[in-house]
Order: sequence, then C-alpha cells, then structure tokens
Amino acid sequence: MVMRKTHIIGKPFPLVEAQKKLTGTSCYAGDEPFGPDLLHARILFSTRGHARFQLRHVDVARKQPGVVALITGADLQTRLGATIEDRMLLAVEEVHFAGQPLAVVAAESPEAASAALAAMEVVYEDMPGVYDIESALAANAPQVHPAMATYRGFDKLDAQPERNIAHRVSFRRGDVDAALAQAAFVVERTYTAAPLQHAPLETHGGVAQLQGQDELTMWMHVQAPFLQRQIIARALHMPPENLRIITHCVGGSFGSKVFVSVEGLLAAIAREAGGRPVRLHLTREEEFLAVFMTPAMRAQVTMGLDEAGRIVAFRGIYDWNVGASVDAFLREMQRIALAGTGPYAIPHAEVQVNAIYTHLLPAAPMRGLSVAQVHWAVEQLVDELAEEAGLSPLLLRQRNLVKGGDQLFPNFVMHANGLESCILETTRAIGWQPDQNREVTGTIARGKGMAMGWSPIIISPGCKSRATIQCDGENLCTVIVDGVDVGQGFYAFITQLIAFELNFPSEWITVLPTDTANYESDWQAIYNNLLWSTGKVLLQATAELKRQILSYVSELWEEPMTHLDLVDGDVISYATQRRLSVLKLLQEGTGDGPPPVFRATGVYEATAKHDGLDGLLQSFATTGFAAEVAVNLETGDLKVLQLAGAADVGHAINPEGVKAQLKGAIIQSTSQTLLEELRFKDGVPVTLDFMTYPIATTADMPQKIHPIVVEIPQSSGPYGARDLSNHALVGASAAIGNAIYRATGVRIRELPITAQRLYDALKQFHASRTRADAEENRGQ
Amino acid sequence: MKHHISFTINGQSMELTVLSHQTLLEVIRNDLRLTGAKHGCSTGECGACSVIMNGEVVNACMVLAPEVDGTDILTVEGLSDGEELHPLQKSFIDHHGVQCGYCAPGMLISAKALLSRTSRPHEEEIREALVGNLCRCGAYADIIKSIQVASRARR
Amino acid sequence: METRDLKPFHYIRPESLQEAGRYLASEEAVKLLGGGNTLLLQIRSGQESPDILLDVKHLPGFGDVRYHHNQGLKLGAAVNLQHLVVGLEIRRHYPLLHQTAQKLASPQVRNRATIGGTLAWASPISELAAAMLCYDAVCHTWSPRGHREIPLAEFYLGDYQTALARDEIITHVHLPPFPNRTYGIYHRQTVRHDGRRMIAGAAVLAYRKQQALTHWRIAVLGMDNRPKRIPDAEAVLEGTPGEAEIARALEIVQEQIHPADVDYARADYRRASLNALLKQAITEVIHHLQSIRS
Repeated sequence: MVMRKTHIIGKPFPLVEAQKKLTGTSCYAGDEPFGPDLLHARILFSTRGHARFQLRHVDVARKQPGVVALITGADLQTRLGATIEDRMLLAVEEVHFAGQPLAVVAAESPEAASAALAAMEVVYEDMPGVYDIESALAANAPQVHPAMATYRGFDKLDAQPERNIAHRVSFRRGDVDAALAQAAFVVERTYTAAPLQHAPLETHGGVAQLQGQDELTMWMHVQAPFLQRQIIARALHMPPENLRIITHCVGGSFGSKVFVSVEGLLAAIAREAGGRPVRLHLTREEEFLAVFMTPAMRAQVTMGLDEAGRIVAFRGIYDWNVGASVDAFLREMQRIALAGTGPYAIPHAEVQVNAIYTHLLPAAPMRGLSVAQVHWAVEQLVDELAEEAGLSPLLLRQRNLVKGGDQLFPNFVMHANGLESCILETTRAIGWQPDQNREVTGTIARGKGMAMGWSPIIISPGCKSRATIQCDGENLCTVIVDGVDVGQGFYAFITQLIAFELNFPSEWITVLPTDTANYESDWQAIYNNLLWSTGKVLLQATAELKRQILSYVSELWEEPMTHLDLVDGDVISYATQRRLSVLKLLQEGTGDGPPPVFRATGVYEATAKHDGLDGLLQSFATTGFAAEVAVNLETGDLKVLQLAGAADVGHAINPEGVKAQLKGAIIQSTSQTLLEELRFKDGVPVTLDFMTYPIATTADMPQKIHPIVVEIPQSSGPYGARDLSNHALVGASAAIGNAIYRATGVRIRELPITAQRLYDALKQFHASRTRADAEENRGQ
Repeated sequence: MKHHISFTINGQSMELTVLSHQTLLEVIRNDLRLTGAKHGCSTGECGACSVIMNGEVVNACMVLAPEVDGTDILTVEGLSDGEELHPLQKSFIDHHGVQCGYCAPGMLISAKALLSRTSRPHEEEIREALVGNLCRCGAYADIIKSIQVASRARR
Repeated sequence: METRDLKPFHYIRPESLQEAGRYLASEEAVKLLGGGNTLLLQIRSGQESPDILLDVKHLPGFGDVRYHHNQGLKLGAAVNLQHLVVGLEIRRHYPLLHQTAQKLASPQVRNRATIGGTLAWASPISELAAAMLCYDAVCHTWSPRGHREIPLAEFYLGDYQTALARDEIITHVHLPPFPNRTYGIYHRQTVRHDGRRMIAGAAVLAYRKQQALTHWRIAVLGMDNRPKRIPDAEAVLEGTPGEAEIARALEIVQEQIHPADVDYARADYRRASLNALLKQAITEVIHHLQSIRS
C-alpha cells in the first residue's frame, strides 16, 4: 500500500512571494521597469469642498516644455462608478469635494508635469457645503447630488437625493417597540466613529500604455483588476476587451485599491500619449487628499433585556457619512444591516443603515468592512446593558449568542460556529475574572474587557471566480486566478491546495500575475469571500487536471484509471506498483509525439439575482477579543497591555498564516481605535501626512498579543475553511472600550479613544462623583 | 549644480555625477535601478526607504546625493550573499515577517543595523529600533519575532 | 512619488569657518545643512527656497566629542543625536541627556540629526533642548566678528528665533561637569507613543549635597513659544522639599507657562498633562536622591 506522504494542508507554509519581497526584487508602484520613453503623469486636485470653478491658462500649460498631453473636464466629460455613477472622472464647472480631480497631465519628466499644473490657475467661487451627517440631513441643506436621478444605476438604489440620502438598507423581525416596552432593562445610546484612511504604505500608482489603435494596457497594483477594468472601460467608452490590467505586487490595499480612484485618469491620459508609457504614482499628500476615506459612523442603538437575562429587542440606526460618492460603499450596507444586531439571537430586531452624501471625499470600505465600527457600538452597549442588569458581561454574551440552527434571516440558518470558544479562549488568555475589580497603582488604573464579533460573508450578485491550472514541461504547474494577493497569503493558499490535491511538490507551482486578458470582464470575488470562492474553483480545476493526467497514463499503461493515483509527483498504479514521474512525463513525454500539456479551468458564478444589490448570505465569520489596558488617571494616557483575538476560520489551512493575519488585525485595530482620525477644515482634509494622521508604530502596539485560532469546519468551504483577513478586526475596538470602563468607570463612545477624550471623561466623572458625594452628605 | 561623487554601494565602487538637489533615494532607484528601497512618504516618517550609510540606518529620502560622496551604502539588495539569503531574510520568510512587503526592505535594513551593534537584542530593544519603520499591515509582532530568531541563530 | 520635489539649490561643503562665513555674508539665500530632517521638509513644502545649502558637518572639530572630569563635555555641532544614545561618556556623566535622546524620534532621524542643527531649529517642543537646559548647556558660536558663548537659557527668543546672528554658526556645545549624586528624569506625553504629536514634556534634575537637594532644574517644552526653565519653581525646591514645596513649585510652573491649543490637544489639557508629568518627575528625583546612601 502506498500512502500519501505529503500533507501540506494545516501545516505552516511561508508566503509565496516572500523571498522576492525580502530581496527587493518585487515590482510595486514606481518599480515598473520602463526605459527613457516613460512619461510622468500628475493630477490637479481641487482644494475646496464645494465650489464653482474656472480653470484658467490651460493653453499655457499645454505649451509648457515637455508636456505631451493634458486633459480637463472640458475635454472629457464622463462619469464613473461600478453601480451608481455618482462621480465625475474630471470635475466640470463645480467641485463636490476637496481632492476632486480637475486636470491630468503627462510630461517628459515629473518636474515638467508639475510645472504644467503650476501654470494653470483655479478660480473658485465657494458654495455652501455640508460636511457632517447632521448638517447634510438638516432641512434646506445644500444638495450634494441634485441630478442624482439622472445617474446611471439610480434605479438600483433606495435614495432620497433631496435629503442627501444616498441609499438605505434595512431589515426587521418581530415587534421591537412592544418588546422594548416589556423589557426589564433598556439601554439606548449613541456611538460614533471617525472617518479613517486606508493609508497603504505603497501609494496608488502604475503605468499605462496605448498599444495599437485603442488597446490600452495597464500595469497596476490593485486588488480588483476585473472590477476596475469594467469601471474604467465604461467611463472611457471603451470595449472592456480593449483594456488590459496586469496586476503586480500590491503594497497594501485594505480596501483602497478595489474601486477606481485615480486609475481612470491614468487610463485617460495614456490614451492621449501617442503610445508612450505613462507612469502615475501619488505622493503621500495626494494619497491622503484624494483617494478614499472610510466613512464616519453615527450609531443610535437600543437594546432590551428581560428578567431572565435574555436580549429580547434591538434597534440600530447606523448613519454613514459617505462623502460625495456612495458607489464603493453600497455593497457593505447589506453586510452592516445583517451584522447590525451583533452576534446575538434576538427575537425582535430592527436595523436601518443609511448612507448620507456630504461634500467630502468618496467613501470606500476598509479592512473590517465597517462592521468593525458597528461592533464598537453594539459590543459596548452589551456591556452597558450587563451593568444595568447586574450581570456578568461574559454570562450575558454566552446566554444570548447566536447558535447553529438559529434562523435569523429568511433562507439562512446559522451554521455551527466558534463564538463561544472565541470569547472563552480570549478571556482566558488575558486572565479575565468575573469578579475582578479594577487595579489601581499610583495614578495607573488597569482593567480588562471583552467583545465578540460576527461578519457576514456575502456572495455579491454576479460575482465570479475563476482559476486555470496548466501543467507543461516548461513551466511545470502554472496557475491563473482572478483574485490578487495583497499580503494576506492568498497565493500560499493556492499553492497549498494544488500541492495537496495533485500531490505535487509545492516548488512546481507558480501563481502568475493576475491579468484581465485571461478572463472576460465581470464582477469578481474580492475580499470577503476570496478564499471560499477561489477554493471552490481550484478544487474543480485540480479534479479535472488529475483526471486528465491519470486518463493519459491509463491509456499508456492500458490499466483502468481506478488503479492509478498521483503520489509525491508520480503517477502510480496500486495494482501493478508501476510508477511514472509526472515531471518526466511533462518534460520528455512518452516517446511518441510531443510531451502532453494538461489544462483545466474552474468557474464559479454566484446565482444570486444580478440586477439588485443584495448578495447571497453564505456564512458568518465569528470572532472574539479580550483586552487589558492601563490608563493614567491624571493624563488619560492609555496603553494596551494585552489584546487577545480569536477567529473561527473553519479549518486553518496555513495556521501560522492565520495567526499572522490575526496579529496584524490586532495591531491595525489598536491603531484605528487609539490614533486614527481623518480631519477636515471646511471639507478640506488637514491630515495629509503620517505626522497628522499617525498610524501605530512598534511603540503603540499592545505589549502582549495572543492570536487564537478556532476551527469549527464550514461545510461548504475548501477543507472546511472560511475567510478571515477582513473579518479579523471585528470587535477589537469594543474590547478596548470595555476594558477602559472596567479600569476607570468611564465609558468612551467616540472613536478614536484619544488621551484627551479620556481625560475629559475622567474629569467629568470625578466632578459628578464629587457632586453626588456632596449631595449625599447634605442629605444625612 | 553638479557633483562628481564616488562611494561604495553593496560592496561595489561607484562613480556618478549628481545634482545638488537629488536625494540618495533618487540616485539608488533611478540612476542605479535598485528599487528595493521604497518611496513611502518623502517626509522621513515611514522608513520604507531605509538604507545603511556608514554603518548607520538613514532615510534615503532625507539624504542629499552629494552628501553620499565618500560613504559606504548598503541597500536591501546587498543583504544576501549571492544566492544565499541573509539569516534575517530567511527568518522573515519562516516567521511571517512579511505581509504586503512594502515595508520589508526598510525593516530588514533597520534590523541589520540593530544586529550589527547589539548581537542579541531583547524584545524592547527591537521595538525601539523599529519605531522609524511603519507597517500598515500590522506585521510588527512577526517582524520582531523574525529578528529575534535570526539574532539567536547567529554566532 | 518619482518627482524630484526639491527645488534646485547649490550644495556646498565649505572647508573652513571662514569659507562658510563668506557664503553667509553673500547676497544669496543661504541655509546651513545639518541632518536636514527639518530643512528638506521645508524646502519640499515651499516654506524655504534657499539658493545655497552649506553642509557644515565636515568643518574641523564639528564632529568632536570630548569629556574631562574637570571641564565637562564638549560636543561638536555636527555630532549626531544617536551619539547621545550610544556614547559612553554621555551615559555615564549625563544620563538625563542619554535617557532623553533614546526617546527622540527614530534611529533613522537620530543618525542624521545634529546637535547644532537641532538646537538652532529652536522648536518649542525640542526635547533635546529641555535636557540640555537642565545641564546648563552653553552654545559656542563663530561669526566673522569672532567667537561667542551663549547660555542655552538665553539662546531661545521664542517662535523658532534664536540669538544667532545671520552669519553666526554654532561650533560646539559645552556642558559643565556635574557631581556624582546628580539625578535627572524626563517625562513626556505624546499622542503616538514614539513621540509624535507632543502634548507635554518636562525634564527635572537636581543633585544632593549632604542631605540637601540642590541645583534644581525644571525645563518644560510645548508650554510656550520656546523650551524654557522655570527658575522660580526650581528655587522653591531647594533643600528638603516636601509635599507643600512640590505643590508650590507646580503652582508656579502653571503660572509661568502659556501653552497653545493645537489641533490634537487643548491648552488646558496640555497644562493638566504637564502638571501630572512634572509632579511625577519631581517626586521620582527626590525619591532617587534621598535613597542614595550618604
């Protein structure tokens, strides 16, 4: 009996591209090798939130030395969007947000491009703008998109343009008002979260070149090349097949390189550059000014508990400041609605999700998909309710968490999940005790808190996944997929899966750069279900490939296929003990004719309805976090001493890779929770560098990090696995918030938790306590 | 203004003509086509362009090209010994010290500078040595571990 | 990002102070180049557009570090801040300077930043200046008119202005020797824990003479248009300070500071933060000095 020796699934496996990344030979934005023919593009961005404008001296700019092409909104009037075209490629007459592109130039050198921009003058006539949710919703507020009803895609949205409501999603079950009226304890609160920026270390950029008549090739560093092709081609009125996007290494995306921001402008200017390659690479300041923000949230949440400690009712109204474009945020709204109650089986629940237009830069989802912000609210609310009812926050969670078999949504029965393990293991990791009070040493107070999380994995309507594997003598085993590795270990997963299924040495397998020339243009799996859907199509392709190889050898050996198998890179016969090296077969053939080439493709296409926005709820990722913090009671200075994060990944195909993602999520969450806030003055971003928009350094990371992997298999996932990287942040910020409360008695309901915010709350808390003591004394 | 400068980079002698207002980062990326050091901010905040100059880690975006005259420069491309990876590089691979990878060259350079003066740094020293290198993926924990393991493996 | 964002200038490396002086006396806009950490940012942002950058890092004696137990410490203007972290003479004889330097920015910045350049930049939040003020540092300068000695306490005029004349260059900084029983401590609060976004910072130093604690130094930063000492508060602590003296010193400090609102912290909050940091620092200095066996 021959046993399979290789069991690569569930074992540590290094990142596939690691060696290139660590020797400086990977190709990121700005690294693309092009000769002296290369032109340099720069963009002129608006510096006002809402204004009419005139662009002067465009002709002078065009005649500057070294200028090859220059386009303004007067030359190219077109709209941009995946679902709703609520953005202009280039502004015409009016700017709707600071950072909106006004002109794009290509020139012989970066200096010449800058000089051309400087030669133009923008004359603004300011118009009243709305920059926050309250003013956008106020009566008689200026309308951000008065002509919204004429935009392509408008019919798919539930919008009220005159009220600046871009889109609404809601769900309801039971009778929330009645349940709240009967509840023993009710807590109603408002929580907010600041706008953030993805801030990948690699700013947006790439190279584009016109080839032939109207065929454009773009070498980009984006997360969703197929989606970008569709959006750009439509905006530029090109047949999608004339646009080819080849994706090289992505230096971080976190959601900012999914939808089109400046890529459309690069395409537009490259079409005017006479066939010469054009490079665009944003400066850090431009990246902060003009790419995407992740929207600010206002959450009005109410929860009711009965005498038995069961959560009986929930109402959540989640308002999002999506800036001047909702397009990139639309598909997150269903997700937010489904996650909006928190991971609890609540009989009466109502969630409303509203996207509000303002004159700020366009919104796009960030890692955590805004579900992270939802949990900032819900998971602190649960602690507030537990306090009100005198229950342990752990017990309250355990009693109410959603379990396998619960039917919370039509056509969806909750699967077995790891919520309880996540919360038990994280609280155990940091030594959480139910009866533990805060510890104060001098001016430092320490406390521990917890939070759970769930995040829907949704298959977008029309979403496709494709994988093609080819085995030949020259390249051995090459893989083409439509997804992109952005550092989350996607290519490692692909390699592991193929090595396991075909029993090939992993060194044979090469994942090729994603290239839109390989498949037709369409919506693609991007972030929340990439592993699930790509796993599905890889399993199809490997099964077919294995069949092809065994069938070939079966004919050669005149043995039935059922006797044959692939083992350690060989075809073997269980019946005759014959053995043939696949490598030899591919490179030398069998003597007659050329060596064989095997090729198979797997395709998955979502069956969900194509015209709407609602996708198919496939499963929930579940998480748990526990934090210990130290607060300086005099200064509000906060340190995260420990942060434990657990996620149910179904089956950890690459356990160390899963832990790396969890640790990364813990650090990124800490950064978002304590430090990050995009700030504006009259709608103009003022946080334009890493000084004013600080992200966590090694000095800010939690002192101890505990990544915990929970595995409750997902029956439909590859080997029972479930997606993780995006969902791994959900709940972390609330765990920190709850720990602060335990340490200080102060509840922070606004993100980020800055030291000044904490100081103010502590001061207010002590003032009210002193007042209460005084009144008590008077009473005696 | 033009300057003729000579220096060594990754062990090789080099002579170049540069302008006063060029930076070391532009020289190594554009003139020498070594693209391991990255543009990340141009304000000396992110450390993606870190290189070692005369044994000390610096941000190449904050060094003027004429200042390089007579110095010894090491970039990430000079870490490995031909095909043989540097122990730090191996350790970063084994311990997931890299995610998107954009910060990785700078991280390696800072780590190399640290290990050349402290052969067995403890965790706190590694954290301090990396405060000038931002990683947006949040891979710090595994980067620190990679450096620690590499330092223990060295004799 | 490929853009050559520095506007053209001439880089010149003078061989002598006299040569540097000739450039400084010229009609051209001349800037001295030390580590360049601030200057290059200013050029990139258009705040400065010099014709000439004079790289003074290679002038004779500018890289010297000399310590003598009777004469104290001489630090050449071009010595980098990293030397304050690694230099044995600093660790041993000026531990507050060593401790403060460890917290300054990042290794990348410290390796480039020079002592002369950092002091001359005169930032109101200069942590280096706070530590140097505690050690009674004196700036030694050169100009075509000769040499000058300017105590650091008189060097800062506020709002990034210094006592330096247009054609004057810091050649070195001198710190007098301090007795063995000197102890100092630096505390700061910043938004990001690597030191970015300064809320408040305070350095405190004193030494013990028999049973008395004397030579108190309190230097604060971020609390005014320049880093400064608060001599009136220092005076209150002379001798054997107790709770009442500490409280009085803190009160005086609060009277003599004028912090501004910044976009990440209000003035009243910065005051409160400083108060907490200073109280902690003074208490720790007293505790440490009193615990030394006599």
